[in-house]
Amino acid sequence: MIMDPWRPFLEVMRDPLQWARSWKHMTGGKVIGHLLPDVPEEMIHAAGALPLALEGAAVSVSQAQASLPAYTCSHAMGLMEMGLTGQLDFLDGLVIPYVCDTTRNLYHTWSHRFPETRHEFLRLPKRLRHPGARVYLRNELERFGRYLGNITGCFPTAERLSSSLDLYRKSRSRLEEAYSMHRKNPSVWTWERVHMLMASAMKTPREEHLSWMQELPWEGDKDEKSQRPVPVYVRGKIWDPPEITKMLDELGLVVVGDETVCGYRSIASHYQEGDPLDSIVNRLISLPLYPGYHDEPRGVVENFLDRVKQSGARGVIFLNPKFCEAAGFDLPDLQRGLEKEEIPSLVLETSTRGVSLAQIQVRLEAFGEMIGEDLL
Amino acid sequence: MNPISSLRDLKQINIDYYTAAHTARQNGKFIAYVNAFTPVELLYAMDFIPIYPENHAVILGARRLSEEVAPAAEKLGYSMDLCSYARCDLGSILTGKSPTFGLPKPDLLLVSNSQCSTLTKWFEVLSRMYGAPMVLIDVPHSGNGEKDPQAELYVRGQLEELQGILEHITGRKLEGDRLRESIRLSRQASELWTRILLCGSQRPSPITVFDQFIAMAPIVAQRGTQVAVQFYQRLLEELEERVIRGVGALSNERFRLFWDNLPIWPELRRLSEFLDQRGAALVTSLYTWAWATLSVGEEDPFQDWAEQYLYTANLHLQRRIQTYVEYARQYELDGFLYHSNRSCKMVSQDIPELRRAVAEKTGIPGVILEADHNDPRLYSIESIESQIQSFLEMLDSRKRKAG
Repeated sequence: MIMDPWRPFLEVMRDPLQWARSWKHMTGGKVIGHLLPDVPEEMIHAAGALPLALEGAAVSVSQAQASLPAYTCSHAMGLMEMGLTGQLDFLDGLVIPYVCDTTRNLYHTWSHRFPETRHEFLRLPKRLRHPGARVYLRNELERFGRYLGNITGCFPTAERLSSSLDLYRKSRSRLEEAYSMHRKNPSVWTWERVHMLMASAMKTPREEHLSWMQELPWEGDKDEKSQRPVPVYVRGKIWDPPEITKMLDELGLVVVGDETVCGYRSIASHYQEGDPLDSIVNRLISLPLYPGYHDEPRGVVENFLDRVKQSGARGVIFLNPKFCEAAGFDLPDLQRGLEKEEIPSLVLETSTRGVSLAQIQVRLEAFGEMIGEDLL
Repeated sequence: MNPISSLRDLKQINIDYYTAAHTARQNGKFIAYVNAFTPVELLYAMDFIPIYPENHAVILGARRLSEEVAPAAEKLGYSMDLCSYARCDLGSILTGKSPTFGLPKPDLLLVSNSQCSTLTKWFEVLSRMYGAPMVLIDVPHSGNGEKDPQAELYVRGQLEELQGILEHITGRKLEGDRLRESIRLSRQASELWTRILLCGSQRPSPITVFDQFIAMAPIVAQRGTQVAVQFYQRLLEELEERVIRGVGALSNERFRLFWDNLPIWPELRRLSEFLDQRGAALVTSLYTWAWATLSVGEEDPFQDWAEQYLYTANLHLQRRIQTYVEYARQYELDGFLYHSNRSCKMVSQDIPELRRAVAEKTGIPGVILEADHNDPRLYSIESIESQIQSFLEMLDSRKRKAG
């Protein structure tokens, strides 16, 4: 019997926490969870642990509102819920990066609720293009390496880091290929699948993930079935609610560029040669900055427009997380910039809590029809 | 209620301040938009007038203009979930409605993210709007306040760079004497403000937090000038005299309460009267204390600023718990009013844990009031009053039981 090559990824994504828990049980390995943006997974890998990206967005909340106000984004609320319901009790460590005021508060609230867990706040500088930030970030990563080593007993030395970087380089190159396969063959390499590949890469041992990817149908011909693919660019943090990925496929919307932290941002940019820690710093600095960072204000808009135009997208979808101040302040100027370029956009204020999937579907459908009109 | 007469001086102080801002260019001065944790002493020494868009928003809110201006920003795409200070300020620019005739255009936007992340984004919008340069003093969050020498170097480096930027804009070199004088005045104002806030620990308290909210404009905007020093000298004298004479801000002080978070500016008068009628005195708060700790030394102000923004301004749950427990003792508090402020996630998201922890450690109860610092559309004042009423009844019952 031929095994479905997509199955291993599906199994991970069906219940990532259970998958990681089982992996730990079977291998005796350490698992370090992290709340995504710009946490260097390579370093966790080099410290001998499984880096497990935690997405709070899809979690249904029943207890967390006793610890966080209702005007907290679903990403943070979901993490707290997972903690309060014991779903993360198998973790050996937890990393919350400094993304915004919410993650900053989340770290302290977590510390207060779960003082016994080994958690760390990754103090990412916000002015990444400033020369001082490069020095600071490198030092912060060294501090982070010590935190990891103290948990696993295996410090991410230069040698171990080089080896991990080599693996991540290969993995990310493969994922980039998958990304481009979505453009060429969207009925096989659907966005739901490609997103699943990227998201699962952040939840499984990279070695295994890479070997699973070798079995995928890379040699398939250009898609003949897809009648009218409409290229879109997506700006947002995470795919929240996750069902959006499937909706895009069903509506013939092909993602030709995105800025999500578990999407293109997780695979973009490769390491330079040289000191491995410097390579990680350089990679982080070279990525398109997400709204939590500061950049020269005009450049924020101009660089975004350049990325959209280079992607060939006919329209932009903003997945704006509800209660996210950073994304909310950028939005109007980005939209005005798009209007000047005559690129239509759609804003979906997203959140797992209280959002109507049917309404999102209708709006996406209307948007797809509008921007795909002259492709008929 | 016993009004404090020296607070009347504020009207002229504010008129002079905004007039000076609007006539800055005629007088060879420059305008910098700033926020709380920025080196205003350096700005004053370099002929900049620091302007706080947040204060402008406060004026709009206190004059109950929020509902007229904020919708203009929302129409442009700024969600109602975003900070209402920002929405009011941007809406005021768009509509032209402002009791201060707006704010003069900035020569520089200077922001520090040790206060919150929102201001960085708000200032980015203003920078694009005015085509003015923007400088972010990026202050890495120092975890639980432990020493972080690398962060000190990073922040100090940015502050030293700022001096060069100011010199470039003005075409003038920083004069050491002027900086030292500005720092001396700032420290004096800060010390006076601290003594004013400590007056709240007296029984009866000669000043309420509502008075402090009104009185804080000069320590925020004019720290580093003679104006602030003179105003706080007069205010302190009056309060000390009240203490000697046993005159309280309320005629009948029955409950001593703490106000957490920012004020609900549109309801300042209403809530003040509501609490006054029930003998509930707000004797201290988190917000007004922030400006009592901002003085720096003359020897190495750049290092002092860096450490201040990294450590002193580092607000987090554990520190708040410790501080509130200390305030409970120092101010002999009966209860805590926690303003869960939709527009300030930075100071609000840990309130559920904060209330629980403070109650456990002190035995003093607290009530969470869901509101917003500037947008009346996002809360119901009637429901807030009803919550406070129930809370006071509970406190009353506790007092009776305690004999």
